[in-house]
Amino acid sequence: MTSTVVTERSDDRRRGDGADPARTGGPRNGPPALSRGTVLATRVVGVAAVVGVAFTVWLGLWVTPPDKVQGNLVRLVYIHPGVAWVALYLAFGLAAVASLLYLWPRTRSLFWDRLAAAAVEVGVVFNVCTLISGSIWGRPTWGVWWAWDARLTSTAALLVLFLGYMALRRVPAEPEVRAKRSAFAALFAALDVPIVHFSVVWWKTLHQGATVLNANLSPTIHGSMAWTLLLGFVALTLVFVWMLLVRYRIGVLEDWVGSGELDLALRERQAEGIAPPTASAVVLPGPPVPSETPAGREVPREIAEVAQ
Amino acid sequence: MSYVNAGYAIVLGILFLYGLNLLWRRRRLTRTVARVADSRPGPGGSEPAPLPAARPAAEVG
Repeated sequence: MTSTVVTERSDDRRRGDGADPARTGGPRNGPPALSRGTVLATRVVGVAAVVGVAFTVWLGLWVTPPDKVQGNLVRLVYIHPGVAWVALYLAFGLAAVASLLYLWPRTRSLFWDRLAAAAVEVGVVFNVCTLISGSIWGRPTWGVWWAWDARLTSTAALLVLFLGYMALRRVPAEPEVRAKRSAFAALFAALDVPIVHFSVVWWKTLHQGATVLNANLSPTIHGSMAWTLLLGFVALTLVFVWMLLVRYRIGVLEDWVGSGELDLALRERQAEGIAPPTASAVVLPGPPVPSETPAGREVPREIAEVAQ
Repeated sequence: MSYVNAGYAIVLGILFLYGLNLLWRRRRLTRTVARVADSRPGPGGSEPAPLPAARPAAEVG
């Protein structure tokens, strides 16, 4: 465990970036409580998602007919485009928009940062599902599990880029610093989304063209197959919304616990008579603290002496 | 049909496990929040000295 010194930032409240304990819940107030409506909405979305997925599976596996060309493999199409839609357009699109809103000075708020982080994590899960379901469909259709096709490769690159985003968020930093560099990383990674979308148009790929969102906006699927595909899109979108709501709440709680545990550690130090009650900094247990942190922030001398 | 079954099972299994993971993380954090809040003195009474003005501003990695 490393020693961590956190000094109060007097401009947190002034900036209105969501760090004000009175607004977001701080060590003194607890995390912001969820309203009854939010809890109810989350449950309704969750139940609707489960029902929607169950209906999609039922229609996709037992009700819809096999395709003339693909046979039963067409049944994978009822979930594969759905998870791809969620990952590429909903999750990573939302992450890009939220990151942009964080970087825009007028809308800068840690709300957008947390929303982007939640969307990316859920999007990565859906991106993995996209690659796996596509690979399972490709093996009997193309004869290979994987091909270095433009659509497949750009989708895999998207996964790597957003895994990098998640790794970047784990680098310790102040919330504002982390949010800013994460927002730039998300925008950079999201540049790959249009490349994935248009890869089947720009290059001659093994992957088939768009079935629904094609250039003419004329779906090449009809009847019960089309309805099942549409239901799959709706159901997986509901799954995404539910996961996003829960993941966002986890982000709020994580932020609060991080600050709350610091608060508790300080109180324990006070009880031991180590930390001065008027100290303007918090020191967590760990190795000796240098007189200057790696980030270049000065540590009050008395705090550094206590830590040593 | 085995490829189809495998595809559905793997994709839905991943989503189900991730959903469970989210619920577990939220539950664990909610309990942690309650523990931290309980260990903090309430207003009035023979409580420990009030907190200093310091408010942690960074997430501790």
